[in-house]
Amino acid sequence: MTATERAPFFDETFLRRLEQLELASRRMTAGRMKGERRSVRRGQSVEFADYRNYTAGDDLRQLDWNAYARLEKLFVKLFVEEEDVTVHILVDASRSMDYGQPNKLDAARRAAAALGYLGLASMDRVSVAFLGDGASSGMRPMRGKRRALELFRFLAEPRTERLTGLAAAARAYASRMRGSGPLLLISDLMDPGYLDALRNLAGTRCQLSVLHLLAPDELEPEVPPDARLVDNETGHAVEVSGDDDLVERYRARLAEWQAEIASFVSRRGGAYVQVPSDLDLSDLLFDVLRRRRVVE
Amino acid sequence: MIAPLALIGLIALPIIIAFYMLRLRRRDVPVGSTFLWQQLIRDVEANAPWQKLRFSWLLLVQLLIAAIVVLAAARPFSAVESDLAANVVLIVDTSASMATRTDDEDRMALARERARDVVERLPVGGRITVVAAADTADVLVSETDDTDAAIEAIDGITATQLPGDLTDAFALSSALALRDADSTVVVVTDAAGDELPEVGVGAPVLVERIGTTDANQAIAALSALRRAGGAQLDLFVAVSNPSTVEATRRLEVYADGELVDARELTLPAGQRSEALVSTVPSAARLVEARLAGPDALITDDRAFAVVPADETTRALLVGDGNAYLESALALLPRLELYAIDEDGYSDAIADAEEEGAPYGLLVFDGVVPDEAPQVPALYLDPGSDGPFGTVGEQIENPVIDRTDPDEPLLRFVDLSTVHIGRARELSLTEGMRAVVETSGGSPLVAVGEVDGHRIGLIGFDLGESDLPLQVAFPLLMSNLTEILLPAGEGILPSSMRLGESVSVAVDPRIERVFVDNTGTPDLPGATSVGLEVSVVGGRVMIPGADLVGLREVRSVSDLPELADMRLGQTAINLFSPDESDVAPGDPQRIIEMGRVTAGDEPALQPTRAEWWWPLALAALALLAVEWLLFHRPTRRSLARAFRRRPQPLGGRAR
Repeated sequence: MTATERAPFFDETFLRRLEQLELASRRMTAGRMKGERRSVRRGQSVEFADYRNYTAGDDLRQLDWNAYARLEKLFVKLFVEEEDVTVHILVDASRSMDYGQPNKLDAARRAAAALGYLGLASMDRVSVAFLGDGASSGMRPMRGKRRALELFRFLAEPRTERLTGLAAAARAYASRMRGSGPLLLISDLMDPGYLDALRNLAGTRCQLSVLHLLAPDELEPEVPPDARLVDNETGHAVEVSGDDDLVERYRARLAEWQAEIASFVSRRGGAYVQVPSDLDLSDLLFDVLRRRRVVE
Repeated sequence: MIAPLALIGLIALPIIIAFYMLRLRRRDVPVGSTFLWQQLIRDVEANAPWQKLRFSWLLLVQLLIAAIVVLAAARPFSAVESDLAANVVLIVDTSASMATRTDDEDRMALARERARDVVERLPVGGRITVVAAADTADVLVSETDDTDAAIEAIDGITATQLPGDLTDAFALSSALALRDADSTVVVVTDAAGDELPEVGVGAPVLVERIGTTDANQAIAALSALRRAGGAQLDLFVAVSNPSTVEATRRLEVYADGELVDARELTLPAGQRSEALVSTVPSAARLVEARLAGPDALITDDRAFAVVPADETTRALLVGDGNAYLESALALLPRLELYAIDEDGYSDAIADAEEEGAPYGLLVFDGVVPDEAPQVPALYLDPGSDGPFGTVGEQIENPVIDRTDPDEPLLRFVDLSTVHIGRARELSLTEGMRAVVETSGGSPLVAVGEVDGHRIGLIGFDLGESDLPLQVAFPLLMSNLTEILLPAGEGILPSSMRLGESVSVAVDPRIERVFVDNTGTPDLPGATSVGLEVSVVGGRVMIPGADLVGLREVRSVSDLPELADMRLGQTAINLFSPDESDVAPGDPQRIIEMGRVTAGDEPALQPTRAEWWWPLALAALALLAVEWLLFHRPTRRSLARAFRRRPQPLGGRAR
């Protein structure tokens, strides 16, 4: 299906609901342009932050004349400068994501579109990229709601990536990323280098949130007694005898894996959210991500 | 005990195990990634044709199923004793007497109940054939082990109005018993009546005798006779009381639907009373006699008679003169008798033709004409061959053999005291049948139809016998005349017995006839409907009636002048002493027709209690278990439908 054929992600009503949300940024960031977020830099906003002694060259307009009248000392008023942040949204586009009912990649595109729109609506810079084949392919960072259509078109484009190479792709993106802010990774993390990838992304100055997207039958597998499981990404096959024992061991391993990822992300101040691909998008945004304080 | 040959099937068990050890071709199942699965798999083995046998519930269930199926195929059984064999032929009597019904007894309902009981007593794995028997046998279900089907068939059995005859049913049972030596014939009957079939049954016969009452009276005979001149119509009614107590019944006579006579008759136990009713208008065409009030069997409480038109037939007696014969023939109201010797025969015939008043019946006493007559003829003591057959030597002092009691020619005729000095040895031609024979098989009295003309034959000189001195003689002559000149309304005789069929001539332009039964819709078993019969070559075969009452034949034709004409009418009556005597009979007579074993009580039959069916049920249950094990995805999705969906680690989904 081509981008033009693809149905629009959201209707007008849903977009209006989205505008009530914004992406949370727990770290105060230093942006380039004045935006709607507080910056660690002291600037010219109306929000008072601190005083410091006057030194030659300071802007005389920032002198606190009232303090001078009382104390006969010159103080310069410092304000929290409101600056923009960059929202990074990374979508795993490997073949393993092109699987499941509902399709994981489709669910990831929709989640990315919604989160990207949140950023655009908050006048944040939004950078969206697909990870796949060991590299990242993104679009130039954009700002403002009027760029939403461009964002949606980019996300709707068909992908041809086969292998993830998740760690390499994450490293590539991290190396050329500009601006800091929330970094949202939407992936099934089914790649041997998933921890390296997370490490690479967590090493940036961004606040990492991982949306771990799995299909329902990856959470509750149904395996025939004599089956040959064929990997959608690599074509590699595994022969199994699908008895109850095997399925129980799979469940246990899955839980262990999810806990490992959650712990890894949490230790690095990030958020880990498990997202079944059949989870309703509105539930994801207005319930799950809100509880996890990814949006507010 | 089992059939050990079937245990060869146990070879299936190692074959199943071998299949489990073989590396089977697996079904490809696409998954998003095998990333997690690879960490779990212990049994990714080399591509060897065999693998180590591991415990599997599926294997266990399949081995169990195979073992049970093999065991079931071996037909395990235990030897038991039952009064029923594995193959049962159940004969339910549906003759008229089974319609006996009083306040305390519904004989047919009792019969159905006993029949159902027989079905329930069938040995395990037993088969049953259900036969409803009246005058013929009607197989309702054949050699089935489906007891529900057998009981359903039994529930649909009703009594008929037909006289009983177990010949067909016993012949059928014999055939079935020949096919399976382990057979029992069970007859559910009231055993009423004297007549039993002459066939034997090659299997033990058990009788479920039902019925207690004998309180029944019946109209045993009804005939309407015109007196000479035709101005008066006499009705002869005989009423029998086969029960063991005296009864008083009111006899009502209806002429064309109007009550014309009613009288009380006192009927001594086991006796028969006769009444002559002379109050019937001579113009009446349909007469009905009824016994008013209830009794055990109402089928025989009504009788009908169709009064023939007032017609006389010119009859010519050819011979040297026989006073007894002339007297007997002169008494018959339908005959206008003339006599002549042998020499004047040809002229008399020619004169009659010339006058336009030909003879309708010729009686040859000791004479056989050269040319066969073209009208019905009765031959007495023929001296030479004739259309009836050939004549041989004289037989001295012939003994009359036993006669058929149902033979219409011998109705009310008792020949047991008749002696004959000499008779002719006769050989009958095709179309003739002997009614009375010598003990050596030579015909003494015969009737038949040759070249389209009815013929009667008495093979001895009346002067050489004491028959003319007995009351049987005028009755015999009357019956012979009735057969040679059947009185009737149109194409049908005035009366017929139940089940009696007749072939009659009709206008060849008529394509079909419609045969309708009317008159007694309120009698038991009155289920027949009218039927159409095709006319072939100007003749039509009217099938036997199965209902007491009136029968009417009407034409069906596209030609308006031939359409819907009444071609004939006849009365159908039960008139069966066996059926009217509803007292339950002795079952031993029927039991003795089968294979009898020593002792008074019916011997218990060794039979098999087969146990394949619980094994088959167990195999079926295990198959269901196997399906559940095998089709785990379905089972799981069912279970999930009743379970709450899993929640993501990030919080509640909803």
